[in-house]
Amino acid sequence: MIVRIVIFGVLALAMARAMAATVQVQVHDNNGKPLADAVVFLESREARALTKPLQGAEMAQKAKVFDPTVLVVPVGTAVVFPNRDTVRHHVYSFSPAKSFELKLYSGVPANPVVFDKAGIAVLGCNIHDAMAAWVVVVETPFFGRSGATGAVAIQAIPAGAYRLRVWHPSLAVGAAAIDQALVVGAADVSAVVRLAGASAP
Amino acid sequence: MRAHWTMTPAWWPLRWGLSSRIVALSLLLLLLVQAAVFSVVRISIEQSARRQVAQELQVGERVWRRLLDQNAQQLRQGAGLLAADFGFRAAVNSGDTATISSALENNGARIGATITGLVDTRLALSALGEADDAVELRPILGELVGPLSRDAQSSQVALVGGIPHQFVLVPMKAPMLVGYLLMGFPINQKLVDDMRAISDMHLALLSDDGGERGRVVVTTLSPEALQMLKQSGSDVAELPDHGDTLIARSVKLDTGATGSVRTLLMRSLNEVVAPFRQAQVALAWITAMGVVLFGIGSVFAARRVTTPLRSLVGATQQLGQGQYDVPMEHLDRHDEIGGLAKAFDQMRINIGAQQAEIRRLAYWDRLTGLPNRARFREALQREIDSQGAVAGSGRGNISVVMLDLDRFKHVNDVLGYSFGDLLLVAVSRRLTQQDLRDGDMVARLGGDEFAVLLSLSDANSALAVAERIAKSFEMPLVIDDQTVDLSAGIGVACWPMHADDADTLLSRAEVAMYAAKSRTTGIQLYDPVLDSSSALTLSLLTELRQAIDHDELRLFLQPKVRLSDDAVVGAEALVRWQHPVRGLVPPLEFIPFAEQTGFVRQLTLWMFDRAARMSRELHAQGFALRLSINLSTRDMLDIELPSRLEEILQRHAADATAFCLEITESAIMDDPQRAQATLDKLSQRGFTLSIDDFGTGYSSLAYLKRLPVDELKIDKSFVMNMQADDDDEKIVRSTIDLAHNLGLTVVAEGVENGVILEQLRALACDEAQGYFLSKPMPAEALVPWCRRRHADA
Repeated sequence: MIVRIVIFGVLALAMARAMAATVQVQVHDNNGKPLADAVVFLESREARALTKPLQGAEMAQKAKVFDPTVLVVPVGTAVVFPNRDTVRHHVYSFSPAKSFELKLYSGVPANPVVFDKAGIAVLGCNIHDAMAAWVVVVETPFFGRSGATGAVAIQAIPAGAYRLRVWHPSLAVGAAAIDQALVVGAADVSAVVRLAGASAP
Repeated sequence: MRAHWTMTPAWWPLRWGLSSRIVALSLLLLLLVQAAVFSVVRISIEQSARRQVAQELQVGERVWRRLLDQNAQQLRQGAGLLAADFGFRAAVNSGDTATISSALENNGARIGATITGLVDTRLALSALGEADDAVELRPILGELVGPLSRDAQSSQVALVGGIPHQFVLVPMKAPMLVGYLLMGFPINQKLVDDMRAISDMHLALLSDDGGERGRVVVTTLSPEALQMLKQSGSDVAELPDHGDTLIARSVKLDTGATGSVRTLLMRSLNEVVAPFRQAQVALAWITAMGVVLFGIGSVFAARRVTTPLRSLVGATQQLGQGQYDVPMEHLDRHDEIGGLAKAFDQMRINIGAQQAEIRRLAYWDRLTGLPNRARFREALQREIDSQGAVAGSGRGNISVVMLDLDRFKHVNDVLGYSFGDLLLVAVSRRLTQQDLRDGDMVARLGGDEFAVLLSLSDANSALAVAERIAKSFEMPLVIDDQTVDLSAGIGVACWPMHADDADTLLSRAEVAMYAAKSRTTGIQLYDPVLDSSSALTLSLLTELRQAIDHDELRLFLQPKVRLSDDAVVGAEALVRWQHPVRGLVPPLEFIPFAEQTGFVRQLTLWMFDRAARMSRELHAQGFALRLSINLSTRDMLDIELPSRLEEILQRHAADATAFCLEITESAIMDDPQRAQATLDKLSQRGFTLSIDDFGTGYSSLAYLKRLPVDELKIDKSFVMNMQADDDDEKIVRSTIDLAHNLGLTVVAEGVENGVILEQLRALACDEAQGYFLSKPMPAEALVPWCRRRHADA
């Protein structure tokens, strides 16, 4: 995988330790188009220590579609799978990150699913083959998801050396997120990531 | 019968008629055409069948591939369902190798896959069913999985463990693609059977691997055909199969590391040809029907020609038999037959006309328009036949009156033939003017000879008719200012009294007619005595012949005396018949008969012979007497007479001048020209010629003058009466004067007394002969008589 990182702006080294910065990442696909639903997260040892489960994470099913399609959660987050359809769903994942199965149910299952291992869990519905969703379990509190413009802004990033990771569902199954070093100082950082192997819908 | 059958088959026409030939030729041509059509059809069927088989095999290949595809589709669907099965997916994602293998084996078996494998998203084999041998599969995995993953709808065939397998690859999703499920199905009998059921083709699935080429894996062929295939090798293009031919097409399915798989598609030629065979059978039927119809048609067509031909043949045969009154058939046709018929009909008319003309010529006399002899004879025969058919007393008589004009030759000679013709026409008119009944017929038999047929007429009524005819002839005919007296000898003969058939009756009438003429009796009814051919005559003739042979005839002599000096100067030779039973037969009883039968010529020669011998004796004894011999009519007509006489003269060394030949007037007048020729010859030879019985005939002196005659002999009827009848005396006198004026000697016969003798002497008659002088005496008695007379004197 080839990742080219272009860094714009000026690093404010003086403010590096004392102040938190915002990392602005613009994600493009293989063709240079803005890529929505790309998961961007920054990893570091310090960040992992700061990781704590997210409350109220939810992967709803509505109109036979998972909502959201891509959900990013820190390790240990319990995700609820409310069924907002009138039909029942059978949500499952065979992914090594989290293998589980919610057998035919309606409404909100009693027990949320705790994603206790970093990785990517691909979710499907055994009743509706067309339904697919991804839960990206990260060991960092600094993560974001690109919007329609392909832009992600992760705020309050302490200065430090990070691994900038970018992933998108259109990458091959089992493929890991791309990995790029990123040093965050006092100033905001902007990065443009071109994700080879991914393509906007 | 049996022998005939074995020699010639009954159906074989002994004679090929025109009709048979036309029909046979037509049928032969038709059969040739049909045979040509048949062979062309057969060849084109063969070719087109092969083309069709080749096309079908092409289609078959597509069908086979399509069938494999459909099979793969089904397999894929099965595999897809399996891949989507949650339990299976859960098992496969369990991460436990044994569990995964077990799940693959178990679930693959459910849908009949014998090989089941799990391939990851990078197309690497990650797991296999429990029973599957990775060693076998691994070498071909790349070849299989690559193309399969690129085309989700494809399938691949590969040899695994020597068995062709059909492989499909289906993605496994959870829900995103997590890998592929590879499933291999052996190509089995059911599949080739399906193919056979769909396409009517035979299949043989062949594998070519390192060890063996063309190994038959599965096939629809019968064991025998399979055996044949094994013998011929797997690369055959055609395979014989129980009289059938299987055309083969090799379809390559796959070539891989483990070997290649082929399918041999085989199509039966016979099955393809079968519908054409029906067409051929139909064609054969049409041909057979065509032959029958054509045969019938050409028979009719030929009949249309040959039937009229046959009827024309029949008609011409009728023509050949003389039936000219039936017109030809088919005259109204406008074709060649009609033309032929018209030509034949014209020929019929022409021949008929000619035939009628010929009949007219054959049966009618052109001059008089009367029926001729042939027609007369036919009519007579018909009449006899019809009367002969009547039995008993009802049978009528039939009479024939035949007449011959007197002196007709003379008329022709003197007045010319055209006058003679007019005379004949006039005579025919006289005859037809007689009161004749139906069935009677007047005919001109030829020359001056006529005949009248009187049916239902006996001898008396026939004689009455003859009398009427004779009476009608009494009226002289005037032709071209010439008056001609008619007279005829008329003979009458009757059936069945005188003859049994027409020819005999005619000849009997003729005999009677000649008798009438020679006796100048006018009319003569037939009498067997008259007839030289009658039984009585035949016996008399035989006896007369014997008379010469047995020396029963005697030469008699009657002296002639010269009146000037009473000297005996000659003698007339006469014949007497010394019959051994009847005694001396008088001349009148056999001389006329001899004249009628012609035997008189032998008599004449006999007489001359004896007279010649006698003459020598007389001369030897000093009596130079001239002997007179009578010549008959028959003698005069015999052109050999002079030479015969000459022969006798030489035999006896006698001199012609010692003989006088006496000829009657009538003998000369019968055929004056021949008579004159004969007389000329005899005269030249030196014979003295004398006219006998002068005065009874019609010969004129003017005519006699032309003849080389030396002497006249006055008929005794005048001489005997001259004493009592002045007229006869005048006739004798004038005859003597006339003869002397012509330089002829005159002899008088019938001198019966001295008065007559003296009268004659007074009239200066030269010689006399008669009873007063001497009766005829035997020849040997003459010399003594002469001596006695000499002595008396």
